[in-house]
Amino acid sequence: MAEQEHSGGIAEHLQYWTYSFQQDLPVDERNPFMQIHIDTMLVSGFVACLILGFAFWFKGRIVNGVPAGVQNAVESLVGFVNDTVRDNFPVHNPIIAPLALTVFVFIFLCNFFDILPAYLLGSIAHGLGAPAFRPVPTNDLNLPVAMALTVFAMVLYYEFKLKPVHFMKDLLLQPFASLLLMSKNPVVKLLGVLLIPLNLTLKLIEEIAKPLSLSFRLFGNMFAGEVIFLLIASLLLADNVADMASFGGVVSEVMGLLVGLAWSFFHMFIGLLQAFIFMILTVVYLSIAHQPVEH
Amino acid sequence: MSIDLTLVGQFIIFITMLLLLKKMLYVPLNDAMEARAKKIEDGLAAADAGLEARAKADADAEAQIDAAKFKAQEIIAAADKRATEVKEEAVQKARVEAAGIVDAGKEELASEVNRAQQALREEVADIAILAAERIVGEELDAKKHAKLIDSVVKQGFNAA
Repeated sequence: MAEQEHSGGIAEHLQYWTYSFQQDLPVDERNPFMQIHIDTMLVSGFVACLILGFAFWFKGRIVNGVPAGVQNAVESLVGFVNDTVRDNFPVHNPIIAPLALTVFVFIFLCNFFDILPAYLLGSIAHGLGAPAFRPVPTNDLNLPVAMALTVFAMVLYYEFKLKPVHFMKDLLLQPFASLLLMSKNPVVKLLGVLLIPLNLTLKLIEEIAKPLSLSFRLFGNMFAGEVIFLLIASLLLADNVADMASFGGVVSEVMGLLVGLAWSFFHMFIGLLQAFIFMILTVVYLSIAHQPVEH
Repeated sequence: MSIDLTLVGQFIIFITMLLLLKKMLYVPLNDAMEARAKKIEDGLAAADAGLEARAKADADAEAQIDAAKFKAQEIIAAADKRATEVKEEAVQKARVEAAGIVDAGKEELASEVNRAQQALREEVADIAILAAERIVGEELDAKKHAKLIDSVVKQGFNAA
């Protein structure tokens, strides 16, 4: 019974605060693109405002001379991103480093919200009348997918812009048709032409796998982290005062606190790591798109 | 866990943030960092150039010192040579002068000897006349008997 309650509790806390523009329709018949996750939008918007507010405040305090305080820290971060881009990029593109910086900072700060106690924001939101509240926007697939698709769109743009013929050949003739088309035998050539749709399918799968893996890696890690937080809270923390007062309850509370704390630190590290991985993969994918064609 | 309108909202948030962050944070900070890096680079280049100029100046100074030392050696050698010449000239001159003095002394000595001899002769002649007068008992005329007296004196001198 308790397990059912806990699992019900966890499932309840994994719900988004959703608003539908088709309230009159039954839930099953609603168009997904007519509903929005208010909690994700609020928290990601808050993080974006925080970053931009900081940037606005910081802009007036930039000095050309010896940096101090906050400028030191920000310069270290920007220097780290610049070095990462410089190490991976064959040419200079003024948008890549700001993109990498934005990806890293935004994802890290969104992940950082996971340090808040698992049920805290949900309970506060419940108290204020919201049906549910998910505090970590990277736990919502929409955010990683939006970022991954932006990166994917940029990759396609640069592929088409910098080496259109090579990209189209790559799309249609790899991996099978290229050799077949080089053959002088007309039958083999025909076979090569017939294999073009297969090549296109394989290539499309390969290309689509990039944003999919990029977004699902971040989403999966952060989602799993939150579920583990909820499991720790559900299994080790007492439900009521009577349980808390017993010996077992005290032991369980202490264990819950220690395990929760340990997982918090580990999860913060994972959040940092995921932000870095997303950033580095963004740079690498765009770097591949900028690589000159080898003849 | 579904893709919905939130995706569009996230696109807008992400792209807006990317553009604004680039304009407000990345570009000004990167410009400041690049300006500082350039300043440091220029400073290091200037320091290198200064070190190079100093090394060149040191080398020039050393070359000039060497040249001056060489010239000084030449001057010292020339001065030594000249000093030797002057010394030799002075010695030679002194020798000539000394020889002249010696010759003049000799001449003067000879003339003095001659004068003394002449005076002595005259004195001896006078004495001889005086003595002869006493012996002969009559006055001798010096002019008249000069020939005689001279022969006597000569004999006397030769005998002496």
